[in-house]
Amino acid sequence: MEHEKGSTLRDTLIALPGCEKVDMCFSCGTCVSRCPIQQKIEPAYNPRRLLKMIALNMQADSFSSITPYLCSACDLCFEACPQEIHISAILNGVKKLALEAGFSTPLNIAKVDNLTCVGCGFCEKVCPYQAITLKETNVPLRGKNLLIAEVDSGKCMACGACSAICRSNSIELQAREHSEEVIETMWSWLETTEMSAEK
Amino acid sequence: MVDAARHPKIDVRTFTNVERVEGYVGNFKVQLREKARHVLADRCNGCGECSKVCPIEVPNYFEMNLAPRKAAYVAMSQSVPLRYTIDENACIHCYKCVDACGALEAIDFSQEDKLIWEDIGSIVVATGFNHFDPSVIPEYGYSRYPNVITAMEMERLNNSAGPTTGNLIRPSDQKNPQRLAIINCVGSRDKRFNPWCSNFCCMYAIKNAVLLKQMNPTLEISIYYMDIRTPSKGYEEFYDRARGMGIRFIQGRPSLITEDPQTKNLFIHSEDITLGKISELEYDMVMLNQAAVPQPDVDSVSSVLNITQSPGGWFMEYHPKLRPVDSPTDGIFLAGACQGLKDIPSSVSSGLATASRAGRILHSDEWEIEPIIAQVWEDRCVMADGKICGVCARACPYGAIIIEEGKAASVTVAKCHGCGGCVAECPHNAITQMHFTDAQVFSQMRALLAENPQEKIFAFRCHWCSYGGADLAGTSHFDYSANERGIRVMCSARMDPDFIYEAFRLGAGAVLYSGCHPQDCHYITGQKVGATRADRLQKLFEKLEMTPGRFRIEWISAAEGDKYSRVINEMQKVIDAIPHEQLMTEIERLKPEMEKRARRMYETPGMDKAVTYSDAMVKAINTKEVKNGA
Repeated sequence: MEHEKGSTLRDTLIALPGCEKVDMCFSCGTCVSRCPIQQKIEPAYNPRRLLKMIALNMQADSFSSITPYLCSACDLCFEACPQEIHISAILNGVKKLALEAGFSTPLNIAKVDNLTCVGCGFCEKVCPYQAITLKETNVPLRGKNLLIAEVDSGKCMACGACSAICRSNSIELQAREHSEEVIETMWSWLETTEMSAEK
Repeated sequence: MVDAARHPKIDVRTFTNVERVEGYVGNFKVQLREKARHVLADRCNGCGECSKVCPIEVPNYFEMNLAPRKAAYVAMSQSVPLRYTIDENACIHCYKCVDACGALEAIDFSQEDKLIWEDIGSIVVATGFNHFDPSVIPEYGYSRYPNVITAMEMERLNNSAGPTTGNLIRPSDQKNPQRLAIINCVGSRDKRFNPWCSNFCCMYAIKNAVLLKQMNPTLEISIYYMDIRTPSKGYEEFYDRARGMGIRFIQGRPSLITEDPQTKNLFIHSEDITLGKISELEYDMVMLNQAAVPQPDVDSVSSVLNITQSPGGWFMEYHPKLRPVDSPTDGIFLAGACQGLKDIPSSVSSGLATASRAGRILHSDEWEIEPIIAQVWEDRCVMADGKICGVCARACPYGAIIIEEGKAASVTVAKCHGCGGCVAECPHNAITQMHFTDAQVFSQMRALLAENPQEKIFAFRCHWCSYGGADLAGTSHFDYSANERGIRVMCSARMDPDFIYEAFRLGAGAVLYSGCHPQDCHYITGQKVGATRADRLQKLFEKLEMTPGRFRIEWISAAEGDKYSRVINEMQKVIDAIPHEQLMTEIERLKPEMEKRARRMYETPGMDKAVTYSDAMVKAINTKEVKNGA
């Protein structure tokens, strides 16, 4: 009996560019122990486990996992992988399929304030993930139509670079509850590094 | 080893290279280069006085460069034969050794390399393997961190005859380590370096761990592994014993080793995949269990001996299951890890096997070969007219055809295995294969396609695979079209384009070109020769606007009876789908073209007899007596 083509998560994924070697993973764990995100940011992040879930066609689990959304495509794992699997491409593929299937990203991605955005395009230039595009509206301005920044929720990695450069405070990361805490920890980190540098 | 050197019929030649090999099974001529050791082998008694007085010290390769040796040296104290050598590259010509040698007068600085020819009956290749250099893996820091060592360095450190007399110390501070990590699969099972599993390293890591634990009971040992492979007799029990001794096994491939610059201790970063957690553990010393790789000069050895290599650089055996110690060249045998990685019991078995295989040749006065060898019609070969050709020599997987300018090509009979590649490739039909001559195949085709050829599916099958596949289809009672007519040739390389043209000229409805799968070919590269030709034919028939599917190429193994019946049934459907008139006009349209292309075949000797013979055969089949089986 032959499977219907494209019926399973693994079959759809393997057709995407860079995802050809998804079956080759033998679960050695090199990618996980090489990953800076796993170690510094999110212990639940585990590309090895995601690859296993893909192999077993666990669609809902893979799409709701945080792993595909957090990958920054630094490709340290790709260099270390003994099976030469392009893991970041696979994670990106899963993310794409998840968004198409109606799952939303769990990251606090950037949001544009339509009322104050002047369409200067600074955020578009500064975005490292090419997630921001300028979209034309029907509001006339100086003989042309007003442009407004738009964020692609699939590409945004919530780094905040756009928010830092914006002149009119029109683009910001959605949640800011932990900002005080973050600043505290950053201060303490800076102090320790300064002290160690003085040593 | 000492016994071997003493045996009257065993001649041990050390420090000698094989430069050239000529001839064939039982009659090899081998050129040896006896390198100058600057010591007369018949006078040296191995007393070692020269080494004692020698002032020069260089790293000792045998001790993995952990200890020095002199410029006048033996590789190791157990060397057989025990003859000293003076290292030309290190010697400063102080001649102290000459004085020390004294009345023996064994040292001779005027000695030069000697080239000698020897008559040899059979050759055993046992060149072994080399170890992978892990310094090319940046994340493990070998050669940057002093306390990261290789398995072979550990072997010397742990050896009572080694530089530390068996006292395990770490290189940075000469203290005994308390925590040791062993990392498996360094450079093996890694597509960036070597994709293969190195076979013995799992057991080797466990052996080393057990040995070290016995000698240093307080030592904590952890083994990092991806999979532990313990397939042979007693291996799993040994693994159990290691676990029982308190050796820790951590499943997870380390991604990074970092060093504490003050203590020179090492941190291994890995994921413990059974827990799904990152671990970063501190060790005093790390041993990298590196991959086994082919010898660096494997290419020159294989070109000298004319042995092909399998992927990775291991020597290719004749057949992986049935003739694992024979090389494709008769009379040359492969022992041990040069053919593929083996542990000690398997290496010993393969060594014993090669000895008996080689002995068969030495003990026989005559050597039987298959009678299906190729023969050259010297008057037809264009090389004899001074033209440059050599197509046959390029097609031969065994190097059996000798090409010399101004002379007809000649076949070394003992080297020919009878694939027939040269016969089909020869553009002048100047070579024939005994028992598979053009005339014989031609008369078979004529007889089989005598009646209603447009209904027939004519199949060319190779002896080893497709013919077996067709046979299996029959014995397994797989239904396939009764219009199939097949003949056997030895290899797809023998399927001459002329045969295909002739089959279509005779009006065959469809032609199948079938052989082994590329990796299964019994004639090394015969299938490749056939496949290249088949693709060329396919393109030609496309250009001539033949209905697609009438010429079909399929690689069918002897186990694929179902595939054979499926292919034949599909071809039957192709013929059935073409309206009769259209098929007939197409056959008639292509006939002159096919005849033109196959014209050289009709000139080959014996063809006139073939026609009368096939006519007689058809007549006999059609007479009533034969039909009724009388």
